[in-house]
Amino acid sequence: MALPPEPIEEVLPQAALVVEAEVESILSTGPAQPPVQAKPGATGAPGRDAPDQTVKLRVTKVHKGPAGLSELVVLKPVAGYALRAGNKGPFLLDDAKPHPVILGRYGPDTWNLGRVLEGLGAAR
Amino acid sequence: MRISDSRLRGIYNDLLKKSATLDDSAVPQILAAVGDSSRLSFKNLLAQLSAPGLTKQQQLDLCLGGMTNNEKGDICQILDEGEVPMSPTARNFLEALVGRSALQGNDPLQIIVTGDQKNGIAGIAGPNVTIEAINLSTAPGSRLHVDDTMVIGRTDEFGRFMGSMDDVQEGDIIRMRARGADGKVGEWVTMRAGGISAQDTRHAVVALSRVGLADAGAGKLKLEAVESRPLTEPGARLQLTNERTGEKTVVTADENGKLAGAVMLNGKPGDVFSVAATDGQTNTDFAVETGKLIAPGGASDNLVVDLPDPAMCKDELDANGNPKFELKRFSGPLFHNGIAPGDVEQGYIGDCYFPAAMAALAQAQPEVIENMIRANGDGSYTVTFKERDWRSGGYKDVEIQLDGDLWARSWGSPIYGASGGDKSQKKMELWWPLIEKAYAMWQGSYEAIGNGGLSSDIWEACMGRDGAHSSVKYMKPDSLWAEIKDAVDNKLPCGAGTYGESQEALYTNSGIYANHAYSILGYEERDGERFVTMRNPWGQSEPAGNGRDDGIFKVTLADFQKYYQSFMTVRD
Repeated sequence: MALPPEPIEEVLPQAALVVEAEVESILSTGPAQPPVQAKPGATGAPGRDAPDQTVKLRVTKVHKGPAGLSELVVLKPVAGYALRAGNKGPFLLDDAKPHPVILGRYGPDTWNLGRVLEGLGAAR
Repeated sequence: MRISDSRLRGIYNDLLKKSATLDDSAVPQILAAVGDSSRLSFKNLLAQLSAPGLTKQQQLDLCLGGMTNNEKGDICQILDEGEVPMSPTARNFLEALVGRSALQGNDPLQIIVTGDQKNGIAGIAGPNVTIEAINLSTAPGSRLHVDDTMVIGRTDEFGRFMGSMDDVQEGDIIRMRARGADGKVGEWVTMRAGGISAQDTRHAVVALSRVGLADAGAGKLKLEAVESRPLTEPGARLQLTNERTGEKTVVTADENGKLAGAVMLNGKPGDVFSVAATDGQTNTDFAVETGKLIAPGGASDNLVVDLPDPAMCKDELDANGNPKFELKRFSGPLFHNGIAPGDVEQGYIGDCYFPAAMAALAQAQPEVIENMIRANGDGSYTVTFKERDWRSGGYKDVEIQLDGDLWARSWGSPIYGASGGDKSQKKMELWWPLIEKAYAMWQGSYEAIGNGGLSSDIWEACMGRDGAHSSVKYMKPDSLWAEIKDAVDNKLPCGAGTYGESQEALYTNSGIYANHAYSILGYEERDGERFVTMRNPWGQSEPAGNGRDDGIFKVTLADFQKYYQSFMTVRD
């Protein structure tokens, strides 16, 4: 729906893991969302979300969570963004089982790394 | 050609024989020839005219004392029929001598206005200079500074010009200056337009949003400017009437249409002042009110009026349909430091098309925004939208009355649209959140406007102009570039929308977001590359390498065509 990112202060407390990572592969993709009726060229129409994906992340740095993590399988929920191999950035993840869920409305594009580190610093 | 004065004929024929130009060096001899008399010989007059330090005007006055009608006719013949080429300054001298134009001084950037303004603004200056002007009577209503001039004409080789300005009315104050080819500018010349119609009918325009009242304590209020643009036209008088006490205070604007300094008024927080203005010609009895000013901090900050508010989006309602958030009264200024794209931030509502449209409008035609919302002085506001009138084929006004209540978080920040600056209840700039609220009231609720849309629908509702759409994908780059340039150059609001369904992966890590509307703020060509300046209505989140994270970024035309599906503007 092209809503602005959530305030990071609201999301960080839910994050069990904060990592810098790159998408290594897409393991599976959920069903497509039903099409939405909207005027041609209209933006912001709800429901135009990409399906969920299960993805494998190659972790390059851990900012919050157990040190030594190098790989993670995580769930990208139905959202206004989609991932593909090679995408990278800061990932905030909850502690859901079996796979942590990516937090933030736009995944690794929700906040830049500087903003995430600033938020983490403020939270400590 | 028959020149009656024998000495003048001799001087002229000599120039003709030598194929010389009649320039400034020949002027004293010509003046002496036509200005001599029985009391003052040619020789003595020439000596006086050649005295060091004599101004052109003094030379002219000396000559006029002895010039006969026949000699005047001789000069007219030389001007109209003469074959001797003349320098522009010599021609101006001779034209001034016979009363055809004013005398141009030594400064080519000095402007002299000639005649009335019935057919335009005529005058003289140096040859081939540009004449710039601003209408100071209308500038306060158009968000202009006093030096925001427009080019109205250019002088010819003789230094004459006929300037053309739109909407100049009898009595308007026009300020002009000349600009040379090297960019240097001359002194300002200020004049009052005349000869256009029988009477001055334009009331002094007042931009009340440019002044504010503040509590100075001890029963005093301080009236002062809150921005640098003019408040009204130069010399206009404003009468402020305290509606509680009836006391009237008159203040006079300075030569730039501003307050000369802070003005102290008797009053207290919450007092409402009725303001009337006169330019000395209209509204001299202050019978017509131009607006109201409210001293903040008093009772009028509170619920002077309490109008119905639009319902929240369904996501912000609990299971019983009750709002999860509270309404809070905002009482900041409608405008703070003018109107700019950065004033607009999208809230947590799917109406990106709306803030994107308003930021583009703020960039292209801020005066549309300034004119569509007003404070009524009692804590309420009126927003005027345009609606298609199917009977007439045109547009009709739709006025929405609203108060300053906005849905807000517990700590005060608005849920929906907010200003890009201070978001506190007493300081937030209000024009954008109130226009969004008014639109939600008009359409039924925030839910009604929060499910996507077209920026062009918003421009239509604000401007009463049809939208124009182009599908970017199949356009030739040159055609797309031409459309963008045309819209920006013509100050038309414009924007672009990204792809939605099935295209989301295209955007990840690009700094551009899917299913989203953006404003177009400008364009640039650099080193053979074409760039479009975009703005994310969130006021943040942009491709890396674009400086401060304020949502403003440049994208190459190739990337524009890759990421954006639609280009929108209004019909010219």
